[in-house]
Amino acid sequence: MFAWLTPEIIALLMNGLGVTLALTLITSTAALLLGVGVGWLRLSASPLARSLAVVYIEIFRNVPALVGVIFWAYAFPNAFGPEARRALFFDNGFIQALSQFTGLTIPYYALAAAMALTLNTSAYIAELFRAGVGTLAREHWETARTLGASPLRAFRHVLLPHGLRAASPALVTRLVHNMKNTALASFVAVPELFKAVQTSITRSFHAVELLLLASITYWLLSFTFAWLLHRWLAGPSRASVR
Amino acid sequence: MSPFEFLWRLLPNLLFGFPAQRPGGLALSVFIAALAIGAGFVLALIVGAGRSSRWWIARQLAAIYVEVFRGLPLLLLLLLIHQVIGGKRFGLDFSPLTSALITLALYTSAYQAEIVRTGLAAVPQEVIDSARLMGAGRWQVFFFVRLRYALRVMLPAFTGQAISLFKDSSVVVVLGVGELTTVARSALGSDVRNAAYWVPVYMCVGLLYAGVALAISRLAARWERQARVADRLKNLANL
Repeated sequence: MFAWLTPEIIALLMNGLGVTLALTLITSTAALLLGVGVGWLRLSASPLARSLAVVYIEIFRNVPALVGVIFWAYAFPNAFGPEARRALFFDNGFIQALSQFTGLTIPYYALAAAMALTLNTSAYIAELFRAGVGTLAREHWETARTLGASPLRAFRHVLLPHGLRAASPALVTRLVHNMKNTALASFVAVPELFKAVQTSITRSFHAVELLLLASITYWLLSFTFAWLLHRWLAGPSRASVR
Repeated sequence: MSPFEFLWRLLPNLLFGFPAQRPGGLALSVFIAALAIGAGFVLALIVGAGRSSRWWIARQLAAIYVEVFRGLPLLLLLLLIHQVIGGKRFGLDFSPLTSALITLALYTSAYQAEIVRTGLAAVPQEVIDSARLMGAGRWQVFFFVRLRYALRVMLPAFTGQAISLFKDSSVVVVLGVGELTTVARSALGSDVRNAAYWVPVYMCVGLLYAGVALAISRLAARWERQARVADRLKNLANL
């Protein structure tokens, strides 16, 4: 029954799972940091900063993640001449080191996919964070500032925990969505789990078994990730204002 | 050909597909998304109401439905439905367009069901009780009181989901349905001479998606405003 699950295919799938986990971890962290930053700009008193944040949010939220992935991976390098393209994206010290470290043949595609997913998710998170902070936290913020807290301190101890906790259900949904979106990286030849499944199908012709196996894996990933995020974002220790 | 000229010539195809084929491009993207959202809404009403059903089994089934379709990447769901369920195995043999529509409808219905559930939960118990006291039956209460009240609450979330699904419809490029992303992909092909056109074409594709998405959200915001004004006027008239 499991004869198709040869060591070769298992290695391929495990490798794919590793890439998916790495992509998820990197893009989630980067998107959370960037999103909270842009969300803070969106709440800023300066009209220029606010409009910059709005433009950022509207552009990256309204362009499909897939179009972003293809744009940064395949289209963007084409804006440069052949020589510059090779030196910038495909053949330099950094890329070689990355290739050796990760074992990816063309690390630029993975970088581009990670960047596209980060930009997309961060735009959503910025908007969620802004909504989460709402009006109540802004009053707390004013109070903290009046009591002599520096802007950074007030942000770290008042705005950040309040905004994250208030937005936590939507944030969890969005970050799980981001995890599922890493499958889009398969379009630009990043060997993550979905790509590994596709490759395994062409090698073994067991499409049904492999697709079901992939489904179960993604379900488990979704549940675990949602559970972990929920504990981390909505947990009492995190949001308590010291 | 300059990139601008290339884009200018391609624009009709991006909007309506290639002349010799079935209509495609942005028009097909909008059509697929609209149909999937409509069908998904009907499913979502059943599943969303099932979440607060009196029967334990209905609640569990509805919860499983939501988790199943929300826990999978759309790309994987698309292949599952096209190759496993819609394949020749069960004698169904779905066309790519049919598979795309079914998948998108199921996918969005799970998200919409959650919106329906929270919307129905937002209806105050007093409103339901007074409708029952006035002699309305269970179904009447559901359609004319709870749903009517909930729809107003759900509208912003629905708009978000509709926009999200419209953008996610780009993923059906994997089946080659002929919508916007597929047109861009096949127009550029793997020809090295097209290298200079990649950036303008994908920027244009991104702008087209973003333009429609922004238009939907502006339109929905206006509806909401109008609905609020109408509510206020009705309240005044009752006074």
